[in-house]
Amino acid sequence: MKTFLLKVEPVIWLLFGQGILIGTILLTAWLLVIGILIPLGVVPSDALAYERALRLATANLLFLPIGKLLLLAIMALPLWKGAHHIRSLLVDFGGGERDPAVASLLYLIATAGSVAAVMAVIRL
Amino acid sequence: MSRPAHPHAMAPKTPGKTRTAPPQIPASWWSTSRMRAYLAFDATGFVYLLVGFLAIRLVWALGSGQGAYDSALGALENPIYIVWNVFALLCVIGVGVRFFRLFPKAQPARLGPAKPPPGPVIHAGLYLAWIGITVLLSAILAGGLFA
Repeated sequence: MKTFLLKVEPVIWLLFGQGILIGTILLTAWLLVIGILIPLGVVPSDALAYERALRLATANLLFLPIGKLLLLAIMALPLWKGAHHIRSLLVDFGGGERDPAVASLLYLIATAGSVAAVMAVIRL
Repeated sequence: MSRPAHPHAMAPKTPGKTRTAPPQIPASWWSTSRMRAYLAFDATGFVYLLVGFLAIRLVWALGSGQGAYDSALGALENPIYIVWNVFALLCVIGVGVRFFRLFPKAQPARLGPAKPPPGPVIHAGLYLAWIGITVLLSAILAGGLFA
């Protein structure tokens, strides 16, 4: 398992890095509007009523499904940032002996979440 | 004609202090301010993981029809969710500020013939992208654009 983790490390680091960079940039507006301003009534909930939300989510830009791609980035990339940083935290506190098992479990969770994210945008 | 050098020819006249035990990590290693900031940065991983799964839940509900979507969006009005989202937003901003501060230092000194731009230029670009995309996306989500 340790050898496998070393082989896929470039892919994991790519997803982790994009999770911090793109995830952080996109999540700021997502959390601000959907998580805080709409629930508090500062922004009327009509702004993301079902029909409009679906229209935005399925929007295309120059034949590119931009709505689905943005949603996929918002859903999947933070999972990889989360999994990799939790792994790092657990290595700091628990040592590296259990790292292969812990890392495998965390990346499995991130993979399962990413598959669910892909399915979620396909269903739209 | 040369001859092989004596194995200890370059040794110092007085031997250095020899460690008698391997170095130990102090029990309170995590309590220094530098380590606390580093560990807090890592701990935001839990927040990102949960935020990702909550986003999946909302988008999944959107694909399930109006009833499921309205229910999922309405659930966010629960005060626990609001407090959580404020906390998550603070974590995301904290991660962004720390990561963007570190980003110029992580650039390669040279990539072929190209050199990376100076740190302040990279900083300005990152913050411009962050603020610009946040304003644009917020305006779209709040109905100010493409209403």
